[in-house]
Amino acid sequence: MASPRPSAALTTALTRLRQELQAAPLRLDVPAVAKVRGSRNAMVSQLEDYILPRLVQIDAPLLAVVGGSTGAGKSTLVNSLVGRSVTAAGVLRPTTRSPVLVHNPADATWFGPDRILPELARTTSPSTDIGALHLVAVDTVPPGLAILDAPDVDSVETANRTLAAQLLAAADLWLFVTSAARYADQVPWEFLKAAAERSTAVAVVLDRTAPESVNEVRAHLARMLTSHGLRDSPLFTVPESAVSAEGLLDPQAVAPVRGWLQELSADATARAQIIAQTLDGAIRQVAFRTHEVADAVAEQQRVTASLRHDAASAYRRAEADLTEALGDGTVLRGEVLARWQEFVGAGGFARTMEHHVSRLRDRFVAAVRGRGQSAEDVSSAVGHGLHVLLLEHAESAAERAHRSWSSTEPGRSLLQESQGVLGRASRDFREKAERAVRDWQQQLLEVVREEGADKRATARFLAYGVNGLGVALMVVVFASTAGLTGSEVGIAGGTAVVGQKVLEAVFGDQAVRRLAAQARDDLVRRAHDLLQVEEERFVALLDAVGADEQSADRVRDAVRAVDDVRQAARAR
Amino acid sequence: MTGLVVGARRLLRRGDDLVLRVDALQEAVTSGRGRLDDAALNDAQETVDRAQERLRLSGAHTVVALAGATGSGKSSLFNKLTGLDLAAVGVRRPTTSWALACAWGPDDAADLLGWLGIPARHQVQRTSLLDTSTDDSRLAGLVLLDLPDHDSTEVSHHLEVDRLVKHADLLVWVLDPQKYADAAIHDRYLRPLATHSDVMLVVLNQADQLPAGTRGSTLADVRRLLSADGLHDVPVLATSARTGAGVDELRAAIAKRVRAKAAATARLALDVSATAQRLTELNGTAATSAPGKDRVAALDDALAEAAGVPVVVQAVRRSTATRRRRATGWPLIRWVGRLRKDPLADLHLGTADSTALVRSSLPPASKVQQARVDLAVRDLAEDASRGLDPSWARSVRTASSANSADLHDALDQAIVSTGIAVDRTPLWVRAFNAVQWLLVVVAVVGAGWLAALAGLAFLQVGAYQPPRVSGLALPTLLLVVAVVLGLAVAAAGRAVADRSAARAARRADVRLRGAIAAVADERVVQPLVAELTAYEHTRDALRVAGGR
Repeated sequence: MASPRPSAALTTALTRLRQELQAAPLRLDVPAVAKVRGSRNAMVSQLEDYILPRLVQIDAPLLAVVGGSTGAGKSTLVNSLVGRSVTAAGVLRPTTRSPVLVHNPADATWFGPDRILPELARTTSPSTDIGALHLVAVDTVPPGLAILDAPDVDSVETANRTLAAQLLAAADLWLFVTSAARYADQVPWEFLKAAAERSTAVAVVLDRTAPESVNEVRAHLARMLTSHGLRDSPLFTVPESAVSAEGLLDPQAVAPVRGWLQELSADATARAQIIAQTLDGAIRQVAFRTHEVADAVAEQQRVTASLRHDAASAYRRAEADLTEALGDGTVLRGEVLARWQEFVGAGGFARTMEHHVSRLRDRFVAAVRGRGQSAEDVSSAVGHGLHVLLLEHAESAAERAHRSWSSTEPGRSLLQESQGVLGRASRDFREKAERAVRDWQQQLLEVVREEGADKRATARFLAYGVNGLGVALMVVVFASTAGLTGSEVGIAGGTAVVGQKVLEAVFGDQAVRRLAAQARDDLVRRAHDLLQVEEERFVALLDAVGADEQSADRVRDAVRAVDDVRQAARAR
Repeated sequence: MTGLVVGARRLLRRGDDLVLRVDALQEAVTSGRGRLDDAALNDAQETVDRAQERLRLSGAHTVVALAGATGSGKSSLFNKLTGLDLAAVGVRRPTTSWALACAWGPDDAADLLGWLGIPARHQVQRTSLLDTSTDDSRLAGLVLLDLPDHDSTEVSHHLEVDRLVKHADLLVWVLDPQKYADAAIHDRYLRPLATHSDVMLVVLNQADQLPAGTRGSTLADVRRLLSADGLHDVPVLATSARTGAGVDELRAAIAKRVRAKAAATARLALDVSATAQRLTELNGTAATSAPGKDRVAALDDALAEAAGVPVVVQAVRRSTATRRRRATGWPLIRWVGRLRKDPLADLHLGTADSTALVRSSLPPASKVQQARVDLAVRDLAEDASRGLDPSWARSVRTASSANSADLHDALDQAIVSTGIAVDRTPLWVRAFNAVQWLLVVVAVVGAGWLAALAGLAFLQVGAYQPPRVSGLALPTLLLVVAVVLGLAVAAAGRAVADRSAARAARRADVRLRGAIAAVADERVVQPLVAELTAYEHTRDALRVAGGR
């Protein structure tokens, strides 16, 4: 049992725990996460509504919450206990109205808006606003005790059920009302089980029971209470009796309950003990259940990491494929090859080229001079090929990432949030890829121009021109005999030889190798940037989840601090 | 597809619609399998199985279930309706642990009760026990079930209720003044069964416990809650099993349904409709359109490029040109042309023994070409699945790329087996050839003549003067004219040969592209269309099953 004067340290630790719980990222729809989200919210509200206010004002009156099923007679019982009609009872179910808190006028200060249940607005007149707390000061309620009439726990009104759970979590003492028709219902028993688990003080009132069956039902109910760990809870019986014109039961019928409550209010020690028991149980329960939340957060971290990995591996694979395609000479085939050959000269030259490179070089020069336009043809053919490659790899990466995310529940729901456009490359990718290719070619020409700045005047440079040399450099960049087969080695490899020789003649051997490597790196980097932006669409969804590597540890640290303070308090 | 709908409509008008709708639902489940959510399909399959079983079993009986919360008085009502004290009644909750059945009438309901899973010891045959009264004959065919509760701490009871609520033909929900607004009954049963108001009755039991004067307002409140659940026109009766008030009305209401013998089929029809509705929401109702012509054309182009059609066409042009030039060229220098290799032979194409087993030596598709093909397939699939539910769009996409692994092989086979051989020599070539040889003969004659003259002159034998034509010796003329004409004909032949080669190339292009298009259709478009057809089939079957 905690010390009656809890240290400020406990309050601090619990405040921090509340913050961490509130911030715990649980957005991914992993299996069973809804349950954890629900219990996290319940814990946060319990900390705000009850534990923290109660810790600060440990001397506040004992709050007895009257809870139970719809139609079990809660309101009638409250009215009869108070001795006048403070809350409306009715035959129509469910009754929606503000919960009523009845207290002694002397205790009014304890129930201000900054105290217990801070979210509920205070009102002093009956209202149907379920977000308000109706305060009634009556001197028939003994000082040091307040009675709260909560809504039902099981009607079709979801708001009623949620509020009832919230109010019951804020109770120092539950006055649980049930009836002969109700006492074996599943829903109230769930609440009783939860109360037993966290050692909340519970008193059970068996209401609306025909006199002939009272004994049998009472015996059965007592057995059920014992088997659910509520052996020590007092069990009162209110026999079914006619109600007065004011809607009150015969005072005799409620005398035992009333007497018990009065005794409690008179005995400060007993009251403090009940408060301490419930409060300590609530803190223990929150601390215990925080581990579930921490585990769930760890699971979120794991799933986030695995989804991140799925997306990354789809895009890394596309990037690897793309880099390979850029390096193995396949870009040169087909249209590019045809344009290049047109550019260099006639189609059939490749076979004899090895032996007649110098002669071909002359033809190349002639071609450049004669048809300046074809340099553009080659470069646009290269550009087209690159564009198609970029586009397809972005598409296939998006499809692959989308597919692997779709195979898991959390991935599927994340994708749904993004309205299902992630299965394809982004809408403006076509344009961006085009621009990237254009920029690369521009950059390449720029480099050739700069490199040739001091060679501007040389006859050779003039002969080929910046465009011609640029095209030759493009061809050299993509040429590599790796991955080519049969006659193609001759064609593509040989093709590049022409370009290589021409470039070497202008810039020198070293420079050509450097330029080609530079241009290639530039292209690979641009492709990487493009795909990175594409991948970012997936990553952004994960970032919004907010589960970083320390999330679970922060929650665990916070709960450990609470446990340490409690341990220290107990040791004292 | 639409034929199914038309046929179904015709049959529907004949009235025997339920069997047909169940079959349609079965078809939808079968064709949606693998595409739609498995859990939903399993549910639907369960509905189909249940409907088929129920239709097979006695149509003369109507299964009426009394369902409700613990303590609402189901068992008391059961006892009142049967006139027997069969069901245990008590204050200890929950009271009823097993479903209890009572059957009225002479017909044996054993099979039906077996299907419902009610053991023999919990069955009673009403007429076997008591002599027939008017009440009993009015209720002949009724199988009344007293269900366990759905809201007590005994979870096994809930499962039994869930099962039997699905099987009953008519559901009588027993409420009481304390519990009529419980979430347990509204959220778990009444709201999900909102479509089933035709096969439901709601009874507010224990009406005697209501304070005088509040009965009307309580019943109105019950109706309000039922309306909120979506059950707007379900009949609501007030009864009291204790005083017997309202029990006769309930019996009459049940008897009316039993005599109509329509509750069983009505219930099943509602089940099938609701299931079809749920599946339709998953499946979508969007109309489909055939894959766009321009998309298919783009695919054909990309495939043709990837398969190397331009390379082959180029080779055909060159090969044809070479052969024609050779055939029409000046015979004496034809051997020079033979030194060149035939570009078609280089590709292992165009020879007479080309069979489907031979692979061409065409270069494999480059990554760029492959990328173009993939993009075209992707665009085609997206175009075709526009407006479809994501699950169907996914399966259309999968179908479109299912054959992509062996696509290249298929393309190669298409190229190889397309006859593009240029062996047949056209008539004009023969004519050119004949003329060329004729000119050679003339030239040889001229040359021979000149040689003979030279020989005679060398041997100093006579002084034979060859005839002269406009001042030129005839043999000289023959030789010169033949050679000049030969070269001229060769030049003309060359021009015609080039034109003919271009024509042959165009022909080859058309034929090759035709073959490629056939492959595209078979490997990409047809699987995709088949998937669209499956979607349409599911959609139409669901429309029939939904009774629309």
